[in-house]
Amino acid sequence: MTHPWITLGLKKGLSDIEIFSTRNKTMKLTVYQQSVDEFVQSDVDVTTIRAIYEGRVATIRFENKDDANVDALLDQLIANAQAITLNEPAIIFEGSESYPEATKVPFDFSSVPTAQKIQKLKALEQFILDHEKVKQVQSSVYYEGDLTTTLINSKGLALEDKTTFAYAYASAVFAQGDDIQSAYDIAMMNSFAEFDPKSIAQATIDLGVKKLGGKSLPSKSYPVVFSNKMFANILGVFTTIFSGESANRNLTPLKDKVGQQIAGADIQLIDDPRHPSAFFQSRFDHEGVATLKKQIVKDGVFQGFVHNLKTASMANSAPTGNSFGGGISMTNFYMEPSSTSFDQLLQPIENGVYITDLVGLHAGVKTVSGEFSLQASGFKIEQGKLTTPVKMIVVSGNFFECLNNIKGFASDLYFNMSNIGSPSVWVDALMIGGE
Amino acid sequence: MLSKKELVSLLEIGVATGADFAELFFEDTKSSVIRVVTGDVASIDVNNTFGVGVRLIQGVDVVYGYSNDVSYKAIETLLLSLRASFNGPSGSVAPLKEAQSVVSAIKRPPFEVPVAEKNALLVKASNTMKAVDAKIVQAITQLLETEQRILVVNNEGVYQDDIRTYTRYVAMAVAQENGVMQQAYEGPGRFKGFELFEEIDAVAIAEEVAASAIDLLYAQDMESQVMPVVLHNGFGGVIFHEACGHPLEATSVAKGLSPFVGKIGQKIGSDLVTAYDDGDVEGAWGRLSFDDEGKATQKNLLIENGVLKSYLIDYRNARKMKMEPTGSGRRQSYKFAPTSRMNSTYIAPGNDTVEAIIADTKYGLFAKKMGGGTVNPSTGEFNFAVQEGYMIENGVLTKPVRGAMLIGQGKDVLFKIDKVANNLEFGQGMCGSISGSIPVDVGQPTIRVSSMTVGGSGGKQ
Repeated sequence: MTHPWITLGLKKGLSDIEIFSTRNKTMKLTVYQQSVDEFVQSDVDVTTIRAIYEGRVATIRFENKDDANVDALLDQLIANAQAITLNEPAIIFEGSESYPEATKVPFDFSSVPTAQKIQKLKALEQFILDHEKVKQVQSSVYYEGDLTTTLINSKGLALEDKTTFAYAYASAVFAQGDDIQSAYDIAMMNSFAEFDPKSIAQATIDLGVKKLGGKSLPSKSYPVVFSNKMFANILGVFTTIFSGESANRNLTPLKDKVGQQIAGADIQLIDDPRHPSAFFQSRFDHEGVATLKKQIVKDGVFQGFVHNLKTASMANSAPTGNSFGGGISMTNFYMEPSSTSFDQLLQPIENGVYITDLVGLHAGVKTVSGEFSLQASGFKIEQGKLTTPVKMIVVSGNFFECLNNIKGFASDLYFNMSNIGSPSVWVDALMIGGE
Repeated sequence: MLSKKELVSLLEIGVATGADFAELFFEDTKSSVIRVVTGDVASIDVNNTFGVGVRLIQGVDVVYGYSNDVSYKAIETLLLSLRASFNGPSGSVAPLKEAQSVVSAIKRPPFEVPVAEKNALLVKASNTMKAVDAKIVQAITQLLETEQRILVVNNEGVYQDDIRTYTRYVAMAVAQENGVMQQAYEGPGRFKGFELFEEIDAVAIAEEVAASAIDLLYAQDMESQVMPVVLHNGFGGVIFHEACGHPLEATSVAKGLSPFVGKIGQKIGSDLVTAYDDGDVEGAWGRLSFDDEGKATQKNLLIENGVLKSYLIDYRNARKMKMEPTGSGRRQSYKFAPTSRMNSTYIAPGNDTVEAIIADTKYGLFAKKMGGGTVNPSTGEFNFAVQEGYMIENGVLTKPVRGAMLIGQGKDVLFKIDKVANNLEFGQGMCGSISGSIPVDVGQPTIRVSSMTVGGSGGKQ
């Protein structure tokens, strides 16, 4: 049976209509001083209608599903489509030949009694509080999400996917004399059995205690090793340079560089929707295109942009299944690790800096030029070993130069919550601003 | 829309099992983004945020739920689920007051202005930006318009609706030469309708942005060093926002983490520093008539001649801190419980002039335009980026520099402010924190900080 909004839209003169909906149920618990001081639950469904009127596409996104509201919004969509003057392809998708199977089975976190979740959170807080250098645990948080996405369109496509996940962390403050440091470590879970308060507490303590007593460094150029988590954050900010829309809009210096060497010959950058170590998987993108694995950089050579239907059509390439949230983004984007251990990676470095924290990525990075300049902290590397903590420094460089100056990377591939993965990476020389 | 009788009945359900505070926050927001790319209208997207947030508090413990189903039945189900967290005697519900009237000075509500008029302005600005120089390879202009309608009711009798109208214009240029690309940006916004453009000149701003992007092509990379920094007015106020504003929010203060805990009445900055957070600056981007807890906003004196006077406090943290709320309870949408946030935060003007401050600086950085920043409120460490900067040598601006990042400690930096000019201006930004992303103004006159750590990639041999 045709969806009534599709029927209504076609009657209003739209030629093609796509309805993408998400239903997101979440629950969040916060423990503070051994009692639950916040509990949040939600159930929200959001609809996005993308439709074509006289060859132009426009989008409405809404949470009020009342008939009168949808009717008025569809009229608005038509008026907006008529006002668009840029001549670009407008495509609603017939569907891919086949869709990959999900390899992860959704776990029903809501079936676990809340009392058990609270108990584990209290245990997490207590484990941390028991450490002598902990001044306070600001909050211990457990969050679970249950997301169903559905896509239907006037070309007969009907797809549905379901994702469940949970995470937990405790945000702790450590003190030693006048020095105050804060730390947290997010543990992602595919099932409730993976919730291990003791290991989260230990990771948090390890992070926080090591930071105490940190000092700045003299300003100069150093060899820099980014932790896997921090290099994943940097890669994440720069994924837009690989987007077909950025190429289209002159917002990436890679525009004319397909087939050219843009990184060291040992660098592999890959987008894999179903990487086994990644936390999330997707079977189809938000336009209904089947997701697929592709190499973005192979042996340092740029292979091509990732696309939505529009940019693929403009570039005469096949769609890559990377249309998400109205824009183009990666599924699980990562740098392939090596077989070198982290300790081996550090070994040749006589006097360098290991960076475990970067702050201000939304402000200190310019994606079009590749420049970054970021508040950082971490440790000194002396004679191949991590030594004293370092804080209040600024690390600056250029991402495109970094890609060509990677001296080594480790085997410790880590995927963050934003689906970006990286091993620890040693960059030849970067400027450190400090004292 | 539910009747007052139904609302009271829902609040009664909320307080029946021990909660001593119950609140319902209804929202219906319409926003639109028009994007013009090198002279053509590329997209127009409309977004409707609609739902209800339900909050129950017992003592200082809070439960919060939200949904886009605003029917009586759905809210009742949500309340029954939430209130199960509490155990205690039934609370009371005061009769709902009459709403105070919303003073709306909006002259041209965004969704009453013909789309053709908006597009014509954006296209003209984009074309002008493109025409500045052949090196401009991208000229994007955008119009972001939002009309947020809310109603907040609680068991203490608050019944308050409000309409928040925001209009923001964004101009972004990319310049390219010899494979180097640079980007510049401006984004002025107001709590106003389309009459924003009576106050700002979209085409002139587009030209300035194009010129900035080209200047950046020839700027040198900043060299890392510790030096005096002159922070220009307007968005330069991001330094106070990060270094001091966030750590003064009850969110950080109530748990005893902020460096400013227990410092009311004490000196936390130089004599030259007087600072406010004002929720009611006419037409300002960060303005609200009523905060998201239904309380009228006010002008809060935070620091007077270097002495700490007040924190920013929401309803729940007022209970924790045993202090009065300051009209600072804010949230991005019904999907967030409110907490203490800033509105229009600024350092008050002093007596110097920008020319005199630069002339008085033998060597330093003039940070003319700032980017965003971050602070960790428990350690006080903050950072913010410089979008457009110039070296000061012997009291004169010399070469342009790019890529500077400034870092510091909130508790030190206010003492290092040794000059304050008389040219107060505001800059607009979106501020992200635990209750979401909200419009705020940062503001200041031009100031000088005697010494800061400046990072950058320049100076490599």
